[in-house]
Order: sequence, then C-alpha cells, then structure tokens
Amino acid sequence: MTDVAIRRLSKSFGANRVLKALDLTVPSRQFVTLLGPSGCGKTTLLRLIAGLEQPSEGEIRFGERRVDGLPPGERNIAMVFQSYALYPTMDVARNIGYGLEVRGTPKAERRERVGAVARVLEILHLLARKPRQLSGGQRQRVALGRAMVRKPDIFLMDEPLSNLDAKLRAAMRGELRRFHLDLGTTTIYVTHDQLEAMTMSDLVVVMNEGVVLQIGTPEEVYARPANLFVAGFIGTPPMNLVPARNEGGRVTVEGHPLPVAAPAGAPAELILGIRPQDVSMAAPGEPGTIPGKVWMVELIGSERLIEVEIAPKLRVTAQVRASHRAALDDAVAVRLDPAQIHLFDPASGRALARDAGRETGAPPA
Amino acid sequence: MSRLAAALVYAVLGAVTFVVCFPLLWAISTSLKPKEEIFRWPPTLIPERVTLESYRELLFGGAVASAPGAGVPPSAFFVDWFVNSVIVSVGSTAISITVATLAAYSLTRFRFRGQRAVPYVAILGYMIPSVIFVFPMFLTMVALDLPDTLLSLILGYVCITLPFCLWLMWAFFRGVPIEIEEAALVDGATRLQVFRQIVLPMALPGIIAASIFSLIVSWNDYLFGRVFMNSMDKLPLTVGVMHFFDGTHVDWGLMMASSVLMTVPMAVLFGFMQRHLVAGFGAGAVKG
Repeated sequence: MTDVAIRRLSKSFGANRVLKALDLTVPSRQFVTLLGPSGCGKTTLLRLIAGLEQPSEGEIRFGERRVDGLPPGERNIAMVFQSYALYPTMDVARNIGYGLEVRGTPKAERRERVGAVARVLEILHLLARKPRQLSGGQRQRVALGRAMVRKPDIFLMDEPLSNLDAKLRAAMRGELRRFHLDLGTTTIYVTHDQLEAMTMSDLVVVMNEGVVLQIGTPEEVYARPANLFVAGFIGTPPMNLVPARNEGGRVTVEGHPLPVAAPAGAPAELILGIRPQDVSMAAPGEPGTIPGKVWMVELIGSERLIEVEIAPKLRVTAQVRASHRAALDDAVAVRLDPAQIHLFDPASGRALARDAGRETGAPPA
Repeated sequence: MSRLAAALVYAVLGAVTFVVCFPLLWAISTSLKPKEEIFRWPPTLIPERVTLESYRELLFGGAVASAPGAGVPPSAFFVDWFVNSVIVSVGSTAISITVATLAAYSLTRFRFRGQRAVPYVAILGYMIPSVIFVFPMFLTMVALDLPDTLLSLILGYVCITLPFCLWLMWAFFRGVPIEIEEAALVDGATRLQVFRQIVLPMALPGIIAASIFSLIVSWNDYLFGRVFMNSMDKLPLTVGVMHFFDGTHVDWGLMMASSVLMTVPMAVLFGFMQRHLVAGFGAGAVKG
C-alpha cells in the first residue's frame, strides 16, 4: 500500500505558472479527490503524478520511492482518462490486457486476469468487440478494467464520469466507491463536480489557481471551510457571503446586531458566511433578525429558495420548506442560525475563530 | 413531378458518367480491335472481331525482337517500361511515406523551433509547378552522376510527393488524440511500442490515402521521365509509349492496349484499398 507525498511541486508552461510550490500528502488506501474550478491545476497535478508531465521544481514520492524522474510506465500507476483513451484498433480483451502484454506477462495468465476483471465489471460478453461498438458506459468500464487488471499501486482518475449521462453517472459513482473499498488501492480522483467529491472521497483537496486551499474530509470542507474560496465553492446553493462589521466585539450586518460575538482580535470589517439552509424567515422587527424584502422566490422540489434583499444589491438566500409562501416585495426578515455563522477576514480571506480544519496556510486568490 | 425530377437527375448523371467513361471504353475497344478495324468508317464501339494481338505484341514482343537482324520495335521494351514504372512508383512511395509519417508524427508530438512552420512551408513547396524545378533538379542529378538511372526518377518523385504526403499525415496525426498514446505510456509501453502498436495501426487509413496519392503521381508522371531518362530500356511507361507515335504513323492498337495495361494496376489497387480508406478509424476510442 502506497502513500503519495508531494513536496514544493511547481509546474510552469512558459510564463504561465500552473502549480505553485504545492505540498500534499495522500495517505495510503484513501480515496482522495482534487476538486476545483477549470484551470485550477488539478489535472496538471494528476499528470505530474502520472509522469505525463515533468515538474519544474519539487519532488513526488510513492512511499519511499522518489518517482518524479521516472517514465509513466515505471511508476506502477494506472490512469483512467476523461476521454477513456481506449486503443481503437484493439478489441476489448486486448485493450484491458495491453499493460500486461507490454510487460511480458504470459498469454495464459493474461487471459485469466483479463477474464477475472471483465467478470467483476460485467463486461465478459464484450471482450471481442472494438471500442467503437461500445456505449459510453461500456467504454468507461473497459477503461476501468484496463486500470484494474495491472494491480497498480495508485489509481489516477481524470474526471472519468464527466462524459456519462446523469443517471449512469450516479450509478457509476457508487460502483467506483465500491471498487475502491474492495481493492483498497490509493486513488487520486480529479473532478470539478463537488457532488462527486463529497459522495466518493475520504479526503477532499480543494484547489484554486495552482495552490491547495483546504484538505479535509467532505464533512470538514463543508462544515468548516478554511477560507472564502472554499466557503463559496462547496455547497449548492452556495453559501451566502455578506459584508459585516465587528462593533466592539459584536457582529452587525447593515447595522443590525446579531447574537454572535466577534472573536478576539477580529478586524473591524468582516465577511459573514451562512448556508441558505441555516437562514430562516421571520417577521420584520423581531430581535436578532435582519429586515428586508423578498427579491426572488424559486421552488426547488421539496424546498423553496427565497432571496431577500437586505440592502441595495445585497441579498441573502434562505432555503425553506416548499410550503412556506412568500410574494415578491413582501416586507420580511431573515434570522441567521448563530451556531452556523462563519466569519472571514476580508483581507486574507481566512476563516476566523472556528477550527478551520487542516488549512494549508495558502491565501485564496 | 418528383418522378420527372428523378428522371432528369438520372439522365444528367447518366450523361456525365458516359462522358467520363467514354475515353476508357474507347481505349478498351480499340485495344481489342484488329488493325484494319481501328480506322474503319463509321467507327465501331464494340469490335466486330476481338483480338488480343496488341496485348500479345506488348507483353511477348520482346522475344520476337531479340531475333538477329531484326530492328528492335519499341513494343519490345514494354515489359521493361512496366517494370521500371513499378520500381520507381513503389520505391518513391515507400520513401515518401516513411519520411512523411515519421516527420508528421514528430511535428505533432514534439516541441521544437519552427515546428508550426514546417507543414505550411511543405505545402507551399508542393504548389510550385514541377516544371519550374525539373531542370535545376536535372542539373543536380548530372552533378551527382545520376541521370538516366531509376534512382534519379525515384528521388525526383520523392521531391514532388513528399510535401503533400507530409501535409496529409500531419493533418491525420493531429486528429489522433494524444490521450491514447499517454494511456499506452502509463500501461508501460515504450515510445517505440506506442508508435508501432498504437499509432501506426491507427494511422493506417492516412498512410493508405497518402500511398495512393504518391503512387498515382509517380505512375502517371511524364515530365521527369522525359527529362531525366534517355536509354530505351530505362524509360517509365508514360514516356515509353510515346514511341508508338513516331511522326509518320501512330500505332493506335498498341497505344490503347498500353493505356489499358497502365490503368489496370492503379484501378485494382484503388479498388482494393478503398475499403481500408473508409474503415472507421478512431471512432469509439475517445468520447463520441
């Protein structure tokens, strides 16, 4: 079982610095997801781990073994590509067994191992077909089979579900998680889909602009975002982030005092974060609430999103039961659950007071 | 109305097909006629008497010509010319395709100075009419002591076919997703294995297309053969058959039989390779 240690890893393409002295440890046997928006460097990081790119600086170790100078074939990794990257001229059996073939595994053993993997993935009946004769889901399974058959130290997956339709994607999420639990192979999974990250991972690594912003369990990054970027990126609908003030140790929003104390040493200007489901509707004038008027109402199935304008161009979204009725421009008030309020320093973007999880110390962009 | 339109379309298509095919039909017909029927008026499209006389003279005339005292008729060289044409076409195509494939692969996969300019410069070179550089090239061949050799023709044809083959293969390799090669590298294959086992099979339709182009160009060329070659037994077919036309008379029977024999290899080759050309390459390997 292999852990992955990445130290001061940088990668530049010309003048474009994609990864900036990145540190990351992926514990052995864990399912770790690199999550971030497009262009955050997560795929580059995965390709560096695979050996498909060379780092500009820094080192990568698998266990005790330093691998950043090794070609991909000598790292004993397997990779599932976003596009599957099956060999179009080979049938499914040879696609899966190709890694064994180039390593000189005897034919009989190859056939046996390919058969075993195909049985697990339920693609035994497809072994004689060419990739172009397969559906998207079947190609996905072949790509997985090709990765599994070699018993690699580490699985690398680059958005492997993004080309599947929504229903199949949901099913494959469960299967991938199940395979990981059965095989126990260290897995690094790249995605921009936070639902995938939250449902499948042991650890989530949130990245932006070439740096790691937070590493934690899905619960940690959701409940205790380390900074403004993670707070805004994780969660649907996104967290409300509104300017607030520290007035003598008391937090106020638009002059309305809230039943929350500012932590010692907090700056005068703050950013207050609260998830829509922790915002409730109240009658105007109730103490500890912020008055406003209804700006927009959206029904999302069993619940309703009510956007309340508490100041010009400043809105707070409340997620309430669908039975709660509200009409546009109604005078209302919102109550913020004091236990669920997050406070951030606007200058550094860092979370204040609460335990910020395992923050890496890199400021968000 | 639609039936009338369909009838019109078929009529036009039929007429065009006839116009396109008529020269070939006429060549076949003439090649099968006895000499006295060729000039008969009114002409006959279907020979009244079918004879293989012209073909026999072309293919087996060499044996007759070797009789002592007899002047050697041009038809005695037909088999030589045919073999010459095969050698220079296949030879130049083999060189062009090998160089073009390797060059195009490196142009799409490795980064180096001038990488983007090379294919465009190559295609620009292809656009210069060959008549402009045939004489400088001939002088170069003289300097290399190569004129009147099949090698000079092969080199000449490589010069005119390589740029386009390079362009074609370059465009082709650009369409081959690099992830497939990366997957093979991760699987443990060496660069050479990736090229041989993954890239080449995928590039086969492109290689076939480029080969057909190169074969047709070198098989049909007249200019280089006319300028570079001199000895009767070293001429390519296109130049050789002009000897059936000697100013006083034209041997249309031999001329047409030669034309048919020249067309057959290319037609067979094309018919055979066409299936490979359209084989759905790459489909299904990456997201569809």
